[in-house]
Amino acid sequence: MLPRISLFFLSVVGLSQAAPIDFSHQIVPILREHCAECHTGDKKKGGLSINDREALIEGSENGPVIVLGKSEKSPLIEVITSTDSDIQMPPKGKRVPPEQIALLKQWIDEGAVWEKGFAFKKPAYDPPLKPRKPVLSASIDGREHPIDRIIDHHLAQKKQPRPEPINDATFIRRAHLDLTGLLPEPEALAKFIADPAPDKRAKLIHSLLSDDVAYADHWLTFWNDLLRNDYGGTGFITGGRKQISSWLYRALVTNMPFDQFTRELIAPPNDESRGYIDGIKWRGEVSAGQTVEIQFAQSISQSFLGINMKCASCHDSFIDRWKLDEAYGLAAIYSSRPLDIARCDKPIGKQATASWLFPEIGQVDAKAAQPERLKQLAALMTHPQNGRFTRTLVNRLWHRLLGHGIVHPVDSMQTEPWNADLLDQLATNFVESGYDLRKTLAYIATSQAYQSTTQILTQETDDHGFTFAGPRARRLTAEQFVDAIWTLTSAAPSKMDAPVFRGKVDTEQAKKIAIQGRWIWGDSAAAGKVPPSDEKITLRQTLKLDADPTAATAVVTCDNAFILYINGRKVSGGDDWGKLAAVPLHGALKKGANTLIAVATNGGKGPNAAGFFLDCRIRMPDGKEITLATDSTWQWTPQFPAASKEGRLGAFDAKDWKPVTLVEAVPVWQKTIDSQAPALLAQGVSGSTRMIRAALVKGDFLMRALGRPNRDQIVSMRPNDLTTLEAIDLANGQTLADALRKGSSKLASEKWPAPDALTTHLYRHALSRDPTAGELTSTREVLGTQPTPQSIEDVLWAICMMPEFQFVR
Amino acid sequence: MILEEDQPEHLVRRDFLKKLAAASTAAWMTGEPQSLWAKTGEKVTHPEAKADACILLWMAGGMAAPDTFDPKGYLPFEKGLEVKRMLSTFPAINTSVDGIKICQGMENIAKVMDRATLIRSAVQPDLGSILHSRHQYHWHTGYVPPQTVATPHIGAWMAKVLGPRNAVMPAFINVGQRLEGVGESEELKAFTTAGFFGSEFGPMNLPFPEEAAQSVRPPKGMEPARFASRDKFFRKLVDLSPHRDHMSDYQQQSMLRSMDNAYRLLSSKEREAFDITLEPKESYAKYDTSRFGRGCLLARRLIEAGTRFVEVTTEYVPFFQWDTHKDGHTTVATMHKEIDQPIAQLVLDLEAKGLLDRTLIIIASEFSRDALMEGKPGSTANDQTTFKVDTLSEMKHYGLHRHFTGGTSVVMFGGGTKKGYLYGETADERPLIATKNPVSVMDLHATIMTAMGISPKTEYTIEGRPFYVTEDGKGKAVMDVFA
Repeated sequence: MLPRISLFFLSVVGLSQAAPIDFSHQIVPILREHCAECHTGDKKKGGLSINDREALIEGSENGPVIVLGKSEKSPLIEVITSTDSDIQMPPKGKRVPPEQIALLKQWIDEGAVWEKGFAFKKPAYDPPLKPRKPVLSASIDGREHPIDRIIDHHLAQKKQPRPEPINDATFIRRAHLDLTGLLPEPEALAKFIADPAPDKRAKLIHSLLSDDVAYADHWLTFWNDLLRNDYGGTGFITGGRKQISSWLYRALVTNMPFDQFTRELIAPPNDESRGYIDGIKWRGEVSAGQTVEIQFAQSISQSFLGINMKCASCHDSFIDRWKLDEAYGLAAIYSSRPLDIARCDKPIGKQATASWLFPEIGQVDAKAAQPERLKQLAALMTHPQNGRFTRTLVNRLWHRLLGHGIVHPVDSMQTEPWNADLLDQLATNFVESGYDLRKTLAYIATSQAYQSTTQILTQETDDHGFTFAGPRARRLTAEQFVDAIWTLTSAAPSKMDAPVFRGKVDTEQAKKIAIQGRWIWGDSAAAGKVPPSDEKITLRQTLKLDADPTAATAVVTCDNAFILYINGRKVSGGDDWGKLAAVPLHGALKKGANTLIAVATNGGKGPNAAGFFLDCRIRMPDGKEITLATDSTWQWTPQFPAASKEGRLGAFDAKDWKPVTLVEAVPVWQKTIDSQAPALLAQGVSGSTRMIRAALVKGDFLMRALGRPNRDQIVSMRPNDLTTLEAIDLANGQTLADALRKGSSKLASEKWPAPDALTTHLYRHALSRDPTAGELTSTREVLGTQPTPQSIEDVLWAICMMPEFQFVR
Repeated sequence: MILEEDQPEHLVRRDFLKKLAAASTAAWMTGEPQSLWAKTGEKVTHPEAKADACILLWMAGGMAAPDTFDPKGYLPFEKGLEVKRMLSTFPAINTSVDGIKICQGMENIAKVMDRATLIRSAVQPDLGSILHSRHQYHWHTGYVPPQTVATPHIGAWMAKVLGPRNAVMPAFINVGQRLEGVGESEELKAFTTAGFFGSEFGPMNLPFPEEAAQSVRPPKGMEPARFASRDKFFRKLVDLSPHRDHMSDYQQQSMLRSMDNAYRLLSSKEREAFDITLEPKESYAKYDTSRFGRGCLLARRLIEAGTRFVEVTTEYVPFFQWDTHKDGHTTVATMHKEIDQPIAQLVLDLEAKGLLDRTLIIIASEFSRDALMEGKPGSTANDQTTFKVDTLSEMKHYGLHRHFTGGTSVVMFGGGTKKGYLYGETADERPLIATKNPVSVMDLHATIMTAMGISPKTEYTIEGRPFYVTEDGKGKAVMDVFA
């Protein structure tokens, strides 16, 4: 009680005399007792921090809280004095006693003198921007991998044991699921376990990562989530959104370096990767915080920098350092119109200036044209000094492979990593690898840290901060689960929705392809005539198919420009006849009659050669290949439809269709076709024998139930828990039941020397291990001596429901 | 400062602080006070619940108020009738409440209007272009799309804040809407979700009431005995797995708990609620007007068994049902037949079972329709009518074909609302806008949530910021509708 009494005494004195306030002893305790909980450290309730003097002077989201020298005009005094429960501070708990208020008044009147350097709490963690190459601690027990040297040191410091290494079977299942998303086949499992080579794990990692298609199929899910790309969904119906699927898949198949990958997304060299920055253009009005420009700011910040810019795109963020101006600065880089800054949807009468978040490594020229600004942003984002960019990416990969981010959650890159050396080492290695995603995955997967047993979690595990205790088991993603089911049951669909080519160009295949398309045009190209410039015509063809095709690839081009519609929907367009594009058409062509309409325009000045070209290879479910190519059976009309609205061909009903004129190819045209078309068509053919993967089809009921997101928003972490509704779908959902039934019939029709052999096969395939004696006995009780499809179905279901199956462990 | 009764204290406070800041030249110190209370949603002072369960009867596609609950000047079809004279295409009929008339074709509902609160003044924003999916998103979540986070459906809010009424029964069930293979299905999925709450609070979707039983039955072709022994075998395998301890215990237990819950429902007696064929024939027949009608029966059974929130929709399929871009009159006559008898029966049945007082039934739609006006006066929304005629020549032109946002009817039964009560009104001549007591989507939500005992200020933290059940916690309940 004594100090309080003396304080009271002092304050009384303070009121009558001018004895200067002792900040440390008189003011700090008051602020600490009544204000610190909500207004110091990371806490900025109402936008107010009193953590240090600078912050206090800056005030709250509504402006200054103290007027230096004038306590009677300082809102701070008003709110602590007020007896109105609606405005008083602190809002709850004990009021500030009058004697303390007097001290605060005097302190403000004296100019709010602050002890130099004093802050209530250490400043909130401010992550470094520049890259840093950590000095590695000495290796322990010959564990040389830099990741292990860092983690061993971390464990030694925390006096924690090293997690146990995993056996080969656990390793091969984990590596397969993590790197290619698939269960290892029993044969591969047996071979791997039997392999005596000491470096077999590293070899396996590299061989998995060299499987271009399997790698791309699996990681497509991760990138679709992070770049919010999908094959249908909100926005597509109105043409307000574009896929980047073809580009993205190719980038994965060819292992495009991540710096280039990022540059092509931020400053698209062509339309293929443009969908990411263009976001979703909604029909009708949207709030100021959801315009395509602000979406750009939010997407770029989240995908590449792990920054949540959603708060700051409406008002200065209360939860981190980002400000409204900074969000709008990013948005203005993209904006092709003057951009008014709006705070909480209301314009503040100020225009945004294009700028980016880390001027310390350079700035965008706000006066440059938009494409140039985007290029500059792309260069700054991938600038060697932007360690934030590389840290964000490696942290995401670490999270995918080990179940917990080094910074966690992964989009809170403004917060402290549990081990900065580890994060920086991964980032440094990533740059040294040439921004190579696959090498970085290999780098992580070859560490002992990755190859150790999973941590056993309790609800309290992270209560006192994170300590590494092995990877954490991760629930199979919806795609991994469905792929696993399809693998076990051969129930995969025969057609994919993703407009991608699964594989690289197959040069052998290309040699076998003979181009069949001819160049065609209207009457103006008849013998002896030259089409006028700017002539616009419409060409058409119909094609009847007995079934939905399993694959279809077209190369299409026009001198000078074209738009191609299939069944009323725009599927392709272009205005550079020197560059051919391969267009996947398996989604556009359907069973029954298909109508192809091409609107073709000649360019140039004065009459000049014009021609339209298309060659399409269609693979039918029975394996038959159909060629659809421009030839004399096509028709043309001088009429053309109105400009397409939202990618749809409106009503178009010309009456005067006539046969086309076959145009003799100009040599440069022919050169274009000969040099590019066969390879492009071959691209569509290769990869078609592989199982269709869940990531390549639209999310169905089961996948949605298992957590495949609606990709209206960026998703960087999916839920790890199985919910009751999901469990109901697993217990009785038709999709899963059908797949299991199909697989069981197939298994029942195969010859098994004994029911135990079937059980062993299932355990090996699903769980990458042999059943125990107990498991064999119990399963035998269900299967009997002559397993029926029904009993196999039940066993298959039970195995697939086990947590052991549903987790990467 | 006087506190209004329906206003939990802290929000008033926040508003007050804001006003003060605006009014005063000296800047104000706020403390973003509501977050002190409500970071987890648990410390908000919830109003006392008037209802335990909620049924939303969704008139998908834009139900024309002048052809349903808000009759205006009626003119029958005749060739040469000027479209601008066309207000209602059905005559008004008396209801069990003096002074409340509704449209011919809804005679059964007319008889139970003495149990209803009828709001005729619900209004919606135009959003620049009037799109069913955006307006439905807005109505179902309280937020105009797009949003930066996945926004929960109001059923998910109830599931999250209130939990299930019966632990065996899913808290949120959505009846009658196909989400695959229909137009704009992706847009529908965007709001038919628990959003950031996670799928534990999401809807159990039952597009066909007739097949609802199947969704809680063992898979097709599996006898109960086999289903039970399959589950037993599964548990045995889990116990036998040598990996039991290597798996992270917490996650494994959580997964097994969910599997248990699922099995419990699938083998419970409550699952009979899903099977509408178990309903006595006579009672079944009263609902058997349509998929929607049978959906109402299913909803009643589910509520009886302990579901918290059921939505039954007439189903949104572009250009079908209430989405009358042509043939408006003819289509609405069919819709009357679909909804009239089952809705009335639902009210009567719940009343007879003593459940109506604690069950809030809401009939609502994303907007109304008008013969001439798209949006509301002064709207810049595109006119999306497929044909434009000034006078009628064909029956297909007779009806209300444009999207109208200026005055929409909402009907509530039970759940503590007044009986035989009319709130708000619209003009008798075009534009038929709400002229008294307009109710926004936000305030309508606040009203519904208040009835359910959920403060309109309830918030959860997502990505470090508060997200409220009504936008920014600003929804104000229309307390007049409560008895």
